[in-house]
Amino acid sequence: MRGMWWMVAAVVVVVLVAMYLTWLTARLDRLAARCAAAHAALDAHLVRRAAAASQLADALGRPELKAAARAALEAHPDDRELVENDLTRALRALPYPPDAPTLAEVSAASRQVALTRQVHNDLVRDALAVRRRRLVRLLRLGRRHAEPRYFDVDDPILDTSVPVPPL
Amino acid sequence: MRIGIVCPYSFDVPGGVQNHVRDLAETLISLGHEVSVLAPADEDGELPPYLVSAGRAVPVRYNGSVARLSFGPISAARVRRWLAAGEFDVLHVHEPVTPSLSMLAVLLARGPVVATFHTAMTRSRAMAAAQGVLQLVLEKITARIAVSALARKVQVEHLDGGGWEIPNGVAVSRYAHAEPLPGWPGPGGAVGFLGRYTEPRKGFPVLLDAFVRLAADRPGLRLLVAGPGDPADVLDDVPAHTARRITFLGLVSETDKARMLRSVDVYVAPNTGGESFGMILTEAMAAGTPIVASDLDAFRRVLDGGRAAALVPVGDPVALARTLAELLDDPARRSALARRASQVVAAYDWTVVAQRVLEVYRTAIEATPRSVAGI
Repeated sequence: MRGMWWMVAAVVVVVLVAMYLTWLTARLDRLAARCAAAHAALDAHLVRRAAAASQLADALGRPELKAAARAALEAHPDDRELVENDLTRALRALPYPPDAPTLAEVSAASRQVALTRQVHNDLVRDALAVRRRRLVRLLRLGRRHAEPRYFDVDDPILDTSVPVPPL
Repeated sequence: MRIGIVCPYSFDVPGGVQNHVRDLAETLISLGHEVSVLAPADEDGELPPYLVSAGRAVPVRYNGSVARLSFGPISAARVRRWLAAGEFDVLHVHEPVTPSLSMLAVLLARGPVVATFHTAMTRSRAMAAAQGVLQLVLEKITARIAVSALARKVQVEHLDGGGWEIPNGVAVSRYAHAEPLPGWPGPGGAVGFLGRYTEPRKGFPVLLDAFVRLAADRPGLRLLVAGPGDPADVLDDVPAHTARRITFLGLVSETDKARMLRSVDVYVAPNTGGESFGMILTEAMAAGTPIVASDLDAFRRVLDGGRAAALVPVGDPVALARTLAELLDDPARRSALARRASQVVAAYDWTVVAQRVLEVYRTAIEATPRSVAGI
Protein backbone atom coordinates (compact mmCIF):
# COMPACT_ATOMS: atom_id res chain seq x y z
CA MET A 1 0.00 0.00 0.00
CA ARG A 2 2.75 2.38 1.02
CA GLY A 3 4.68 1.73 -2.18
CA MET A 4 1.67 2.77 -4.20
CA TRP A 5 1.42 6.13 -2.45
CA TRP A 6 5.07 6.73 -3.20
CA MET A 7 4.35 5.95 -6.84
CA VAL A 8 1.46 8.39 -6.93
CA ALA A 9 3.53 11.09 -5.26
CA ALA A 10 6.39 10.52 -7.72
CA VAL A 11 4.03 10.74 -10.70
CA VAL A 12 2.51 13.95 -9.36
CA VAL A 13 5.96 15.48 -8.90
CA VAL A 14 7.04 14.45 -12.40
CA VAL A 15 3.86 15.89 -13.92
CA LEU A 16 4.29 19.17 -12.02
CA VAL A 17 7.93 19.49 -13.05
CA ALA A 18 7.03 18.74 -16.68
CA MET A 19 4.26 21.36 -16.58
CA TYR A 20 6.62 23.93 -15.12
CA LEU A 21 9.28 23.22 -17.74
CA THR A 22 6.73 23.42 -20.56
CA TRP A 23 5.53 26.75 -19.23
CA LEU A 24 9.09 28.01 -18.88
CA THR A 25 9.91 26.98 -22.45
CA ALA A 26 6.81 28.72 -23.76
CA ARG A 27 7.82 31.82 -21.79
CA LEU A 28 11.30 31.72 -23.33
CA ASP A 29 9.77 31.33 -26.81
CA ARG A 30 7.49 34.29 -26.23
CA LEU A 31 10.34 36.48 -24.99
CA ALA A 32 12.54 35.46 -27.93
CA ALA A 33 9.75 36.22 -30.43
CA ARG A 34 9.27 39.67 -28.94
CA CYS A 35 13.00 40.43 -29.00
CA ALA A 36 13.09 39.40 -32.65
CA ALA A 37 10.08 41.59 -33.51
CA ALA A 38 11.55 44.55 -31.62
CA HIS A 39 14.90 44.05 -33.33
CA ALA A 40 13.23 44.04 -36.74
CA ALA A 41 11.38 47.26 -35.86
CA LEU A 42 14.61 48.86 -34.65
CA ASP A 43 16.38 47.82 -37.83
CA ALA A 44 13.61 49.34 -39.95
CA HIS A 45 13.79 52.66 -38.09
CA LEU A 46 17.58 52.78 -38.34
CA VAL A 47 17.33 52.27 -42.10
CA ARG A 48 14.67 54.97 -42.30
CA ARG A 49 16.87 57.36 -40.35
CA ALA A 50 19.90 56.69 -42.55
CA ALA A 51 17.82 57.15 -45.70
CA ALA A 52 16.42 60.44 -44.40
CA ALA A 53 19.92 61.58 -43.43
CA SER A 54 21.17 60.72 -46.90
CA GLN A 55 18.43 62.89 -48.44
CA LEU A 56 19.26 65.70 -46.05
CA ALA A 57 22.93 65.40 -47.06
CA ASP A 58 21.95 65.80 -50.72
CA ALA A 59 19.74 68.77 -49.96
CA LEU A 60 22.42 70.56 -47.94
CA GLY A 61 25.38 69.40 -50.06
CA ARG A 62 27.20 67.65 -47.20
CA PRO A 63 29.43 64.82 -48.48
CA GLU A 64 30.59 63.74 -44.99
CA LEU A 65 26.98 63.23 -43.89
CA LYS A 66 26.26 61.36 -47.08
CA ALA A 67 29.20 59.02 -46.37
CA ALA A 68 28.04 58.43 -42.79
CA ALA A 69 24.51 57.64 -43.98
CA ARG A 70 25.87 55.25 -46.62
CA ALA A 71 28.04 53.48 -44.06
CA ALA A 72 25.02 53.08 -41.78
CA LEU A 73 22.94 51.59 -44.58
CA GLU A 74 25.66 49.09 -45.50
CA ALA A 75 26.96 48.24 -42.04
CA HIS A 76 27.79 44.70 -41.01
CA PRO A 77 25.67 43.70 -37.96
CA ASP A 78 28.81 43.59 -35.76
CA ASP A 79 29.75 47.19 -36.59
CA ARG A 80 26.23 48.52 -36.59
CA GLU A 81 26.45 50.34 -33.27
CA LEU A 82 29.68 52.08 -34.25
CA VAL A 83 28.47 53.37 -37.59
CA GLU A 84 25.12 54.46 -36.17
CA ASN A 85 27.00 56.49 -33.55
CA ASP A 86 29.08 58.01 -36.36
CA LEU A 87 25.89 58.98 -38.16
CA THR A 88 24.45 60.56 -35.01
CA ARG A 89 27.66 62.55 -34.57
CA ALA A 90 27.57 63.68 -38.21
CA LEU A 91 23.96 64.78 -37.79
CA ARG A 92 24.74 66.65 -34.59
CA ALA A 93 27.70 68.42 -36.20
CA LEU A 94 25.44 70.09 -38.76
CA PRO A 95 24.55 73.71 -38.33
CA TYR A 96 20.78 73.35 -38.48
CA PRO A 97 19.01 75.72 -40.78
CA PRO A 98 15.46 75.53 -39.45
CA ASP A 99 14.05 75.55 -42.98
CA ALA A 100 16.01 72.50 -44.20
CA PRO A 101 13.52 70.49 -46.23
CA THR A 102 14.00 66.99 -44.78
CA LEU A 103 15.08 68.03 -41.31
CA ALA A 104 11.72 67.19 -39.74
CA GLU A 105 11.95 63.71 -41.22
CA VAL A 106 15.46 63.08 -39.85
CA SER A 107 14.45 64.43 -36.48
CA ALA A 108 11.31 62.26 -36.31
CA ALA A 109 13.22 59.18 -37.46
CA SER A 110 15.88 59.82 -34.82
CA ARG A 111 13.29 60.07 -32.07
CA GLN A 112 11.66 56.90 -33.32
CA VAL A 113 15.03 55.12 -33.22
CA ALA A 114 15.54 56.26 -29.62
CA LEU A 115 12.08 55.07 -28.59
CA THR A 116 12.36 51.72 -30.35
CA ARG A 117 15.82 51.19 -28.91
CA GLN A 118 14.47 51.78 -25.40
CA VAL A 119 11.68 49.26 -25.97
CA HIS A 120 14.07 46.79 -27.60
CA ASN A 121 16.59 46.93 -24.77
CA ASP A 122 13.88 46.53 -22.13
CA LEU A 123 12.65 43.39 -23.91
CA VAL A 124 16.21 42.06 -24.21
CA ARG A 125 16.68 42.64 -20.49
CA ASP A 126 13.51 40.67 -19.70
CA ALA A 127 14.58 37.83 -21.97
CA LEU A 128 18.08 37.68 -20.53
CA ALA A 129 16.72 37.64 -16.96
CA VAL A 130 14.87 34.40 -17.70
CA ARG A 131 17.62 32.89 -19.88
CA ARG A 132 20.19 33.38 -17.15
CA ARG A 133 18.27 31.45 -14.51
CA ARG A 134 20.18 28.47 -13.21
CA LEU A 135 17.53 25.91 -14.20
CA VAL A 136 17.24 27.33 -17.71
CA ARG A 137 21.01 27.22 -18.18
CA LEU A 138 21.32 23.75 -16.64
CA LEU A 139 18.71 22.20 -18.94
CA ARG A 140 19.78 24.48 -21.84
CA LEU A 141 16.14 25.47 -22.40
CA GLY A 142 17.19 28.59 -24.27
CA ARG A 143 19.27 26.78 -26.88
CA ARG A 144 16.57 27.08 -29.55
CA HIS A 145 17.02 30.84 -29.73
CA ALA A 146 20.15 32.92 -30.14
CA GLU A 147 20.96 35.00 -27.07
CA PRO A 148 19.47 38.47 -27.66
CA ARG A 149 21.87 41.43 -27.56
CA TYR A 150 21.36 44.95 -26.30
CA PHE A 151 21.68 47.64 -28.92
CA ASP A 152 24.04 50.12 -27.31
CA VAL A 153 24.34 53.48 -28.97
CA ASP A 154 24.36 57.05 -27.85
CA ASP A 155 20.71 58.13 -27.86
CA PRO A 156 20.28 59.66 -31.30
CA ILE A 157 17.78 62.35 -30.28
CA LEU A 158 18.59 65.61 -32.00
CA ASP A 159 17.86 68.83 -30.23
CA THR A 160 16.33 70.65 -33.15
CA SER A 161 13.30 71.99 -31.36
CA VAL A 162 12.77 75.69 -31.77
CA PRO A 163 13.81 77.24 -28.46
CA VAL A 164 11.32 79.34 -26.54
CA PRO A 165 12.41 82.98 -26.88
CA PRO A 166 14.03 84.29 -23.69
CA LEU A 167 12.04 86.37 -21.25
CA MET B 1 -6.52 52.51 -33.81
CA ARG B 2 -8.51 50.42 -31.28
CA ILE B 3 -7.15 51.23 -27.86
CA GLY B 4 -7.98 49.60 -24.53
CA ILE B 5 -6.99 51.59 -21.45
CA VAL B 6 -7.06 50.25 -17.88
CA CYS B 7 -7.28 52.62 -14.93
CA PRO B 8 -6.75 50.94 -11.55
CA TYR B 9 -8.52 53.61 -9.49
CA SER B 10 -12.21 54.29 -9.29
CA PHE B 11 -13.59 56.95 -11.60
CA ASP B 12 -16.05 58.02 -8.87
CA VAL B 13 -13.26 59.63 -6.87
CA PRO B 14 -11.13 62.41 -8.35
CA GLY B 15 -7.42 61.76 -8.57
CA GLY B 16 -4.35 62.34 -10.68
CA VAL B 17 -4.31 58.99 -12.47
CA GLN B 18 -8.06 59.05 -13.15
CA ASN B 19 -7.88 62.57 -14.61
CA HIS B 20 -4.91 61.55 -16.72
CA VAL B 21 -6.77 58.53 -18.10
CA ARG B 22 -9.94 60.52 -18.77
CA ASP B 23 -8.12 63.34 -20.59
CA LEU B 24 -5.99 60.91 -22.58
CA ALA B 25 -9.04 58.86 -23.59
CA GLU B 26 -11.03 61.92 -24.61
CA THR B 27 -8.13 63.39 -26.58
CA LEU B 28 -7.54 60.09 -28.41
CA ILE B 29 -11.25 59.88 -29.22
CA SER B 30 -11.19 63.45 -30.56
CA LEU B 31 -8.26 62.41 -32.78
CA GLY B 32 -10.47 59.72 -34.30
CA HIS B 33 -9.37 56.61 -32.38
CA GLU B 34 -11.66 54.04 -30.79
CA VAL B 35 -11.06 53.95 -27.05
CA SER B 36 -12.49 51.82 -24.27
CA VAL B 37 -11.52 52.48 -20.66
CA LEU B 38 -11.86 49.76 -18.03
CA ALA B 39 -11.97 51.08 -14.47
CA PRO B 40 -13.68 50.38 -11.17
CA ALA B 41 -16.83 52.50 -11.01
CA ASP B 42 -20.17 52.59 -9.30
CA GLU B 43 -22.56 51.49 -12.03
CA ASP B 44 -25.42 53.56 -10.58
CA GLY B 45 -23.51 56.77 -11.20
CA GLU B 46 -23.32 58.54 -14.53
CA LEU B 47 -20.42 57.16 -16.58
CA PRO B 48 -18.82 58.54 -19.74
CA PRO B 49 -19.76 56.48 -22.83
CA TYR B 50 -16.25 55.05 -23.32
CA LEU B 51 -16.03 53.73 -19.75
CA VAL B 52 -16.59 50.05 -18.93
CA SER B 53 -17.08 49.41 -15.23
CA ALA B 54 -15.13 46.60 -13.61
CA GLY B 55 -17.36 46.73 -10.55
CA ARG B 56 -17.07 48.60 -7.28
CA ALA B 57 -13.70 49.31 -5.80
CA VAL B 58 -12.42 48.54 -2.32
CA PRO B 59 -10.53 51.27 -0.46
CA VAL B 60 -6.90 50.34 0.25
CA ARG B 61 -4.39 52.46 2.15
CA TYR B 62 -1.30 53.02 0.08
CA ASN B 63 1.57 55.49 0.05
CA GLY B 64 -0.05 57.83 2.54
CA SER B 65 -3.38 58.09 0.79
CA VAL B 66 -6.38 55.87 0.20
CA ALA B 67 -6.56 54.15 -3.17
CA ARG B 68 -9.71 52.45 -4.37
CA LEU B 69 -8.82 49.22 -6.12
CA SER B 70 -10.44 46.10 -7.46
CA PHE B 71 -8.58 42.81 -7.53
CA GLY B 72 -9.83 39.25 -7.39
CA PRO B 73 -11.59 36.52 -9.37
CA ILE B 74 -14.67 38.59 -10.24
CA SER B 75 -12.54 41.46 -11.49
CA ALA B 76 -10.41 38.95 -13.44
CA ALA B 77 -13.51 37.62 -15.19
CA ARG B 78 -14.56 41.13 -16.15
CA VAL B 79 -11.08 41.94 -17.45
CA ARG B 80 -11.14 38.77 -19.56
CA ARG B 81 -14.55 39.60 -21.01
CA TRP B 82 -13.50 43.19 -21.77
CA LEU B 83 -10.30 42.03 -23.52
CA ALA B 84 -12.20 39.49 -25.59
CA ALA B 85 -14.88 41.98 -26.65
CA GLY B 86 -12.47 44.84 -27.32
CA GLU B 87 -10.19 43.34 -30.00
CA PHE B 88 -7.70 46.07 -29.22
CA ASP B 89 -4.66 46.93 -31.31
CA VAL B 90 -2.92 48.00 -28.16
CA LEU B 91 -3.57 47.71 -24.43
CA HIS B 92 -2.50 50.64 -22.24
CA VAL B 93 -2.40 50.01 -18.48
CA HIS B 94 -1.68 52.53 -15.74
CA GLU B 95 0.25 51.72 -12.54
CA PRO B 96 0.59 47.98 -13.22
CA VAL B 97 2.92 47.06 -10.37
CA THR B 98 0.42 47.37 -7.55
CA PRO B 99 -2.20 44.60 -7.25
CA SER B 100 -4.99 46.11 -9.31
CA LEU B 101 -7.10 45.84 -12.44
CA SER B 102 -4.06 46.95 -14.40
CA MET B 103 -1.96 44.07 -13.10
CA LEU B 104 -4.77 41.63 -13.88
CA ALA B 105 -5.08 42.99 -17.41
CA VAL B 106 -1.34 42.64 -18.02
CA LEU B 107 -1.32 39.06 -16.72
CA LEU B 108 -4.40 38.10 -18.72
CA ALA B 109 -3.50 39.75 -22.03
CA ARG B 110 -1.31 38.78 -24.93
CA GLY B 111 -0.05 41.27 -27.45
CA PRO B 112 1.27 44.84 -27.37
CA VAL B 113 0.99 46.22 -23.85
CA VAL B 114 2.00 49.79 -22.97
CA ALA B 115 2.30 50.68 -19.29
CA THR B 116 2.43 54.11 -17.72
CA PHE B 117 4.14 54.53 -14.37
CA HIS B 118 2.87 57.53 -12.43
CA THR B 119 4.25 57.39 -8.90
CA ALA B 120 7.83 57.82 -7.97
CA MET B 121 7.55 55.19 -5.27
CA THR B 122 10.68 53.73 -3.83
CA ARG B 123 11.16 50.02 -3.44
CA SER B 124 8.80 48.67 -0.82
CA ARG B 125 9.11 45.45 1.12
CA ALA B 126 6.03 44.10 -0.64
CA MET B 127 7.66 44.76 -3.98
CA ALA B 128 10.83 42.95 -3.01
CA ALA B 129 8.87 39.94 -1.75
CA ALA B 130 6.83 39.73 -4.92
CA GLN B 131 9.85 40.00 -7.23
CA GLY B 132 8.92 36.79 -9.08
CA VAL B 133 5.36 37.92 -9.79
CA LEU B 134 6.61 41.39 -10.66
CA GLN B 135 9.00 39.93 -13.22
CA LEU B 136 6.06 38.10 -14.85
CA VAL B 137 4.10 41.34 -15.04
CA LEU B 138 7.01 43.38 -16.35
CA GLU B 139 8.02 40.94 -19.06
CA LYS B 140 4.54 41.13 -20.56
CA ILE B 141 4.81 44.87 -20.93
CA THR B 142 6.13 45.88 -24.32
CA ALA B 143 6.75 49.57 -23.81
CA ARG B 144 6.95 51.57 -20.62
CA ILE B 145 6.10 55.24 -20.19
CA ALA B 146 7.22 57.27 -17.20
CA VAL B 147 5.42 60.57 -16.53
CA SER B 148 8.47 62.24 -15.02
CA ALA B 149 12.22 61.92 -14.84
CA LEU B 150 11.80 60.86 -11.22
CA ALA B 151 9.31 58.11 -12.09
CA ARG B 152 11.77 56.93 -14.74
CA LYS B 153 14.63 56.93 -12.28
CA VAL B 154 12.63 54.73 -9.91
CA GLN B 155 12.05 52.28 -12.72
CA VAL B 156 15.69 52.14 -13.66
CA GLU B 157 16.71 51.59 -10.06
CA HIS B 158 13.99 49.26 -8.86
CA LEU B 159 12.26 47.63 -11.79
CA ASP B 160 15.26 46.88 -13.99
CA GLY B 161 14.27 48.78 -17.04
CA GLY B 162 14.03 52.16 -18.58
CA GLY B 163 10.91 53.79 -19.84
CA TRP B 164 10.13 56.55 -22.26
CA GLU B 165 9.46 59.85 -20.60
CA ILE B 166 6.22 61.53 -21.60
CA PRO B 167 4.93 64.20 -19.23
CA ASN B 168 1.38 64.44 -17.96
CA GLY B 169 -0.84 66.39 -20.30
CA VAL B 170 -3.03 69.34 -19.48
CA ALA B 171 -6.13 70.51 -21.35
CA VAL B 172 -4.76 74.03 -21.83
CA SER B 173 -7.85 75.65 -23.34
CA ARG B 174 -10.05 74.44 -20.46
CA TYR B 175 -7.85 76.40 -18.05
CA ALA B 176 -6.97 79.37 -20.22
CA HIS B 177 -10.61 80.41 -20.65
CA ALA B 178 -12.05 79.60 -17.23
CA GLU B 179 -14.10 82.33 -15.54
CA PRO B 180 -12.64 83.61 -12.23
CA LEU B 181 -14.83 83.06 -9.15
CA PRO B 182 -17.07 86.07 -8.41
CA GLY B 183 -15.26 88.76 -6.42
CA TRP B 184 -11.77 87.32 -7.01
CA PRO B 185 -8.91 88.24 -7.07
CA GLY B 186 -10.13 91.57 -5.71
CA PRO B 187 -8.28 94.90 -5.34
CA GLY B 188 -6.10 93.83 -2.39
CA GLY B 189 -4.59 90.93 -4.32
CA ALA B 190 -4.96 87.19 -3.85
CA VAL B 191 -2.69 84.20 -3.47
CA GLY B 192 -3.78 80.62 -4.19
CA PHE B 193 -2.97 77.10 -3.05
CA LEU B 194 -4.46 73.79 -4.13
CA GLY B 195 -3.95 70.36 -2.57
CA ARG B 196 -4.31 68.32 0.62
CA TYR B 197 -3.22 71.09 2.92
CA THR B 198 -3.03 68.79 5.95
CA GLU B 199 -0.36 66.65 4.25
CA PRO B 200 3.07 67.91 5.44
CA ARG B 201 4.88 67.36 2.10
CA LYS B 202 2.51 69.81 0.41
CA GLY B 203 4.16 72.54 2.48
CA PHE B 204 0.99 74.47 3.35
CA PRO B 205 2.33 75.58 6.78
CA VAL B 206 5.19 77.35 5.00
CA LEU B 207 2.69 79.29 2.92
CA LEU B 208 0.55 80.06 5.99
CA ASP B 209 3.58 81.44 7.80
CA ALA B 210 4.48 83.60 4.79
CA PHE B 211 0.88 84.77 4.46
CA VAL B 212 0.71 85.82 8.11
CA ARG B 213 3.88 87.92 7.56
CA LEU B 214 2.45 89.51 4.40
CA ALA B 215 -1.03 90.06 5.77
CA ALA B 216 0.33 92.38 8.48
CA ASP B 217 1.26 95.10 5.92
CA ARG B 218 -1.33 94.31 3.26
CA PRO B 219 -4.83 94.71 4.65
CA GLY B 220 -6.59 93.63 1.44
CA LEU B 221 -4.55 90.53 0.63
CA ARG B 222 -6.47 87.23 0.65
CA LEU B 223 -5.56 83.55 0.43
CA LEU B 224 -7.69 81.12 -1.58
CA VAL B 225 -7.25 77.43 -0.70
CA ALA B 226 -8.79 74.46 -2.49
CA GLY B 227 -8.46 70.83 -1.50
CA PRO B 228 -9.81 68.33 1.03
CA GLY B 229 -9.19 68.72 4.76
CA ASP B 230 -10.40 70.43 7.92
CA PRO B 231 -9.27 74.09 8.13
CA ALA B 232 -9.29 73.88 11.95
CA ASP B 233 -6.31 71.47 11.75
CA VAL B 234 -4.02 74.06 10.20
CA LEU B 235 -5.22 77.40 11.62
CA ASP B 236 -3.98 76.94 15.21
CA ASP B 237 -1.11 79.42 14.98
CA VAL B 238 -2.90 81.94 12.75
CA PRO B 239 -4.33 85.06 14.41
CA ALA B 240 -8.13 85.25 14.03
CA HIS B 241 -8.12 88.49 12.03
CA THR B 242 -5.75 86.91 9.48
CA ALA B 243 -7.63 83.62 9.40
CA ARG B 244 -10.73 85.56 8.31
CA ARG B 245 -8.89 86.45 5.11
CA ILE B 246 -8.33 82.83 4.18
CA THR B 247 -11.05 81.17 2.11
CA PHE B 248 -11.24 77.38 2.07
CA LEU B 249 -13.17 75.99 -0.88
CA GLY B 250 -12.82 72.33 0.18
CA LEU B 251 -12.57 69.65 -2.49
CA VAL B 252 -13.32 71.28 -5.85
CA SER B 253 -14.53 69.89 -9.17
CA GLU B 254 -12.34 70.06 -12.27
CA THR B 255 -14.27 73.10 -13.48
CA ASP B 256 -13.90 74.90 -10.18
CA LYS B 257 -10.22 74.04 -10.06
CA ALA B 258 -9.69 75.89 -13.33
CA ARG B 259 -11.80 78.82 -12.06
CA MET B 260 -9.91 78.85 -8.76
CA LEU B 261 -6.56 79.06 -10.55
CA ARG B 262 -7.85 82.00 -12.59
CA SER B 263 -9.05 83.72 -9.40
CA VAL B 264 -5.66 84.51 -7.88
CA ASP B 265 -2.79 86.85 -8.75
CA VAL B 266 -0.13 84.34 -7.78
CA TYR B 267 -0.28 80.57 -7.36
CA VAL B 268 2.02 79.10 -4.70
CA ALA B 269 3.45 75.54 -4.68
CA PRO B 270 5.33 75.45 -1.34
CA ASN B 271 5.90 71.64 -1.46
CA THR B 272 8.71 70.24 0.62
CA GLY B 273 9.35 67.14 -1.51
CA GLY B 274 7.85 63.86 -2.66
CA GLU B 275 6.30 65.30 -5.78
CA SER B 276 6.69 63.16 -8.85
CA PHE B 277 5.61 65.65 -11.44
CA GLY B 278 3.70 68.66 -10.16
CA MET B 279 0.60 68.41 -12.32
CA ILE B 280 -0.84 71.47 -10.62
CA LEU B 281 2.00 73.57 -12.01
CA THR B 282 1.12 72.81 -15.63
CA GLU B 283 -2.50 73.60 -14.76
CA ALA B 284 -1.56 76.94 -13.23
CA MET B 285 0.62 77.71 -16.27
CA ALA B 286 -2.31 76.83 -18.55
CA ALA B 287 -4.54 79.16 -16.52
CA GLY B 288 -2.04 81.96 -17.12
CA THR B 289 -1.44 82.45 -13.40
CA PRO B 290 2.11 83.36 -12.32
CA ILE B 291 3.69 80.75 -10.06
CA VAL B 292 5.92 80.83 -7.02
CA ALA B 293 7.23 77.30 -6.40
CA SER B 294 9.65 75.47 -4.13
CA ASP B 295 12.99 74.88 -5.78
CA LEU B 296 12.56 71.11 -6.24
CA ASP B 297 14.16 69.17 -9.11
CA ALA B 298 10.82 67.92 -10.37
CA PHE B 299 9.33 71.44 -10.35
CA ARG B 300 12.37 72.96 -12.00
CA ARG B 301 12.00 70.51 -14.90
CA VAL B 302 8.35 71.33 -15.48
CA LEU B 303 8.97 75.06 -15.12
CA ASP B 304 11.50 75.29 -17.96
CA GLY B 305 14.49 75.12 -15.62
CA GLY B 306 12.85 77.69 -13.34
CA ARG B 307 12.40 80.35 -16.01
CA ALA B 308 8.61 80.02 -16.10
CA ALA B 309 8.11 80.75 -12.39
CA ALA B 310 9.74 82.35 -9.39
CA LEU B 311 11.52 79.63 -7.39
CA VAL B 312 12.08 79.87 -3.64
CA PRO B 313 14.21 77.77 -1.27
CA VAL B 314 12.31 74.76 0.11
CA GLY B 315 10.64 75.33 3.49
CA ASP B 316 11.69 78.98 3.90
CA PRO B 317 8.65 81.16 4.78
CA VAL B 318 10.71 84.37 4.94
CA ALA B 319 12.02 83.95 1.41
CA LEU B 320 8.56 82.95 0.21
CA ALA B 321 6.98 86.07 1.76
CA ARG B 322 9.66 88.28 0.17
CA THR B 323 9.22 86.75 -3.29
CA LEU B 324 5.43 86.97 -3.03
CA ALA B 325 5.60 90.62 -2.01
CA GLU B 326 7.86 91.46 -4.97
CA LEU B 327 5.55 89.72 -7.42
CA LEU B 328 2.36 91.20 -5.97
CA ASP B 329 3.86 94.69 -6.39
CA ASP B 330 5.09 94.10 -9.93
CA PRO B 331 2.28 93.46 -12.46
CA ALA B 332 4.72 93.68 -15.38
CA ARG B 333 6.84 90.85 -14.01
CA ARG B 334 3.71 88.82 -13.28
CA SER B 335 2.50 89.08 -16.84
CA ALA B 336 5.98 88.33 -18.19
CA LEU B 337 6.07 85.14 -16.11
CA ALA B 338 2.58 84.19 -17.27
CA ARG B 339 3.54 84.78 -20.92
CA ARG B 340 6.62 82.62 -20.59
CA ALA B 341 4.58 79.93 -18.81
CA SER B 342 1.98 79.82 -21.55
CA GLN B 343 4.74 79.18 -24.13
CA VAL B 344 6.18 76.42 -21.97
CA VAL B 345 2.84 74.78 -21.26
CA ALA B 346 2.04 74.39 -24.97
CA ALA B 347 4.32 71.33 -24.99
CA TYR B 348 2.15 69.80 -22.26
CA ASP B 349 -1.17 70.29 -24.04
CA TRP B 350 -2.99 66.97 -24.36
CA THR B 351 -3.15 67.16 -28.14
CA VAL B 352 0.68 67.25 -28.22
CA VAL B 353 1.12 64.69 -25.44
CA ALA B 354 -1.40 62.26 -26.99
CA GLN B 355 0.61 62.27 -30.23
CA ARG B 356 3.66 61.20 -28.27
CA VAL B 357 1.65 58.44 -26.60
CA LEU B 358 0.43 57.27 -30.02
CA GLU B 359 4.06 57.08 -31.11
CA VAL B 360 4.70 54.65 -28.25
CA TYR B 361 1.59 52.62 -29.20
CA ARG B 362 2.91 52.26 -32.74
CA THR B 363 6.31 51.19 -31.49
CA ALA B 364 4.75 48.63 -29.14
CA ILE B 365 2.66 47.24 -31.99
CA GLU B 366 5.72 46.99 -34.23
CA ALA B 367 7.66 45.23 -31.50
CA THR B 368 4.98 42.59 -30.92
CA PRO B 369 4.25 39.62 -33.11
CA ARG B 370 0.45 39.71 -32.52
CA SER B 371 -2.49 41.92 -31.48
CA VAL B 372 -4.14 42.05 -28.06
CA ALA B 373 -6.15 39.04 -26.92
CA GLY B 374 -7.07 37.39 -23.65
CA ILE B 375 -5.61 34.05 -22.59
